[in-house]
This record gives sequence, C-alpha cells and structure tokens, in this order.
Amino acid sequence: MSATFRLKVITPQKLFFDDETENVIVRTTVGDVGILAKHIDYVAVLPAGPLKVKMKDNTFRVAAVSSGTLKVSKEGVVILATAVEWADEIDVEHAKRSEEDAREKIKIHKSGVEFDRAQLKLKRALNRLSVSKNR
Amino acid sequence: MAASNMKDIKRRIKSIESTMQITKAMQLVASSKLRKAKERADNARLFFDTLYETMCEISKNAPEFSSVYTKKREIRTVLMIVIAGDRGLAGGFNSNILKLAYRRAKEISETGKTVEIVAIGKKSVEYFEKREFTVRAKYSEIAEGMDIYDASDIVDTIMGHYSNGLCDSIELFYTSFLNTLTQEPKSYVLLPLEVDKNRHDGKATSLTEYEPSAEAVFDSIVPRYISGILFGAVVDSFAAEQAARRTAMESASDNAGEIIGELQLVYNRARQASITQEITEIVGGAQVQN
Repeated sequence: MSATFRLKVITPQKLFFDDETENVIVRTTVGDVGILAKHIDYVAVLPAGPLKVKMKDNTFRVAAVSSGTLKVSKEGVVILATAVEWADEIDVEHAKRSEEDAREKIKIHKSGVEFDRAQLKLKRALNRLSVSKNR
Repeated sequence: MAASNMKDIKRRIKSIESTMQITKAMQLVASSKLRKAKERADNARLFFDTLYETMCEISKNAPEFSSVYTKKREIRTVLMIVIAGDRGLAGGFNSNILKLAYRRAKEISETGKTVEIVAIGKKSVEYFEKREFTVRAKYSEIAEGMDIYDASDIVDTIMGHYSNGLCDSIELFYTSFLNTLTQEPKSYVLLPLEVDKNRHDGKATSLTEYEPSAEAVFDSIVPRYISGILFGAVVDSFAAEQAARRTAMESASDNAGEIIGELQLVYNRARQASITQEITEIVGGAQVQN
C-alpha cells in the first residue's frame, strides 16, 4: 500500500468524509486533478462535478460535489463544498425533477440573475444525474 | 357575596390553567426545536471556520492583490441586515436585537450617511416597515427550513448591491446562542472584509499554488463565505429564539402555577368563611326559637 494522506470533506450540513486515503480525483475549474500524498500546497475552485475517493479496498467511490474549494496543505486535503452526495445516495427522481425545473426556469427567465441561477441549478442537477450512474 | 366571590375565583383558576397548558406546550415545542437548531448550528460552524482560515491564508500568502471586497471606500450608504424571529412570545429576544439595530441605524444616520435595511424574520420586517429607514429587502418565515442555497440567494442580491456601489458597507445584526439561558445580540461588519492576517502565525507558505489564480480563488470564496456567515447567523438566531422562548414559557408556566396556588388558598378561605357563616346563621336562628 502506498502512502496515504488525510482527506476531509466538509459541508455546512455535516462532516461528510474524514479518513485516510491514497488518492482523490476532483474536478476543478481548470480540469480534473488527481491528488496523491505529499502533494505541493495547492488551492483550487471547484464547480459542480464528480469527486472520486480511493477507498480502503482499492476501489474508487464516487460522489457529486456542487461547487466548493479544494485545499491541499501539509496537514492534508480539505474539500469545502455546499453539498456532497455519494453516487448511491443520490435521489435520481429528485435530480430529474430539479433538472426539468431548471430548464423551465431558463425558458421563462426575466433577468440575468435568474438566468444565471437557473443555469447553475441545471448544472448541479446534471452533475448529480451523471454521477448517479457510477453506483 | 361569598358565593359569587367563590365562583369568580373558580373561573380565574380555570382560565389560568388553560393558559398554563398553552405555555407548557409552547415550552415543549421550543425545547425540541432548540435541540435540532443547535445541531444545525454546530455542524455549520466547522465549515465556516475552515472557510475563514482558507481565506486568511490566501490573503496572507498573496498580500499584493486587491479585491473589491477588501478595498475600503468612502462610506455613504450602510446596508444593515437585521435578523429577528418570525414569532413573538420569546421574552426579550426580538426587542433586544431590534433595539440594538435601531440604535445603530440612528447613530449612522446622524453622521449623514444613508441607512438601508434588509429584514430577515417577520418581526424584523414589521418593525422596520414602521420606521423611517428604507427597507431594501424582506424575508419572512425562512429561518426554520433555511438551507445554504437560500442564504446564497440572499447574499447574491446583497453582493450585487455592493459591487454596483449601491451600498459601501454591510453590517449584520443577529442574536447569538451562548447557552440555553443566555442569548446575546451581536453586530458584525461583513463588508468591506477585515481579514486577520496574523491568524496564521506559521511561516508564510508562499509556495502554495492557486488555480486559476489567488485572486480568482479569493473572489470565489468571499461570496460563499458571506453566505456562510449569513446562514450561520440565521441558524444561530433561530436556536437563540427557541432558547429564549423556552425560558420565557418556562417562567410563564411557573408563574401560572404560583398564581393558581394562591387563588386556591383564597378560594379555600372563602369556602371556609361561607360555611362558618352558615353555621353561625343556623345556630343564631336556633337560639332565637328557644
């Protein structure tokens, strides 16, 4: 087993994940990034996207992140996200509904702000749907 | 006389008993809501502490950039976000925070600056609608089911005002839950941001890489941080409201119990007096016959 590091995934609702891992792959605004132990200090912005964590049994567990920040330091890796869900915990029906809802809102938007919000919502819904296929 | 007096007392006891039932029920509801709200507030705290730390680190490691959020400009308009409860009957909870906010608003307007209010909670909305300040936005009945997206929506609007120069400083007023017996009204300057650069006393780890850039990361964190604070404040305030209500209702129930006890005593005396009087009358009547 190769070197591990501590990964914490924190949301306003709870401490989502807090354990040792070998490898974590996240989507940042400039592309997918894989983090291994002893990575250089690093901070990046995360849009809605998948998060892959290598578990103890050497498989990757996938989760959907909806916007956040990644911080790598000597103490470990911290991911701060507004919401995170494991692929197998995603409520697909709910995600589909919010996708339709967001598309509807994009159609009838009245202002730029409303459009931006609806678009972000659509991205979050699509991300959850695509991640949920990884269960 | 005695009989009608007794009836009155019985009626009062009845009415106080039913009031006591209500206050007891409200106390129970408040304590169960308090437990949930406390949990929510605790969970949120970890997230925002970490977020704040990250923000401090960035501004410390890359001190040369200037962000629209940290730059100080001449203050003409102050936006005050005032968080109060949706319901009354919570002791001094609502009036304490509203008075604090109102005093501050007066103070600001006396120095020639404009004050605008964002009212959160029905009591806050009602209070400031009757006052002389402009209410920019009002949100009622959102505290209990509030999630981070609701907070972001509110903050998006406020940040828009700030970036467009509609306001030059943002202050937040809320009640902090210290423990079940103490809640403290607090105020807090949200923007312009005061980042504590001394918080990390370790060596400046200036080798940190930022993607896309330190400024971009910082500017994307700030709105999230502010919505975090707002979310935290609303949740904290809600917990404080429940605690205040619980204490208020507890003492109301206690008082009701006390009054009932006193009335019961008065009632017993009146009953005793009327019996004694009846006996005296019978005895007096018998004596006259003899």
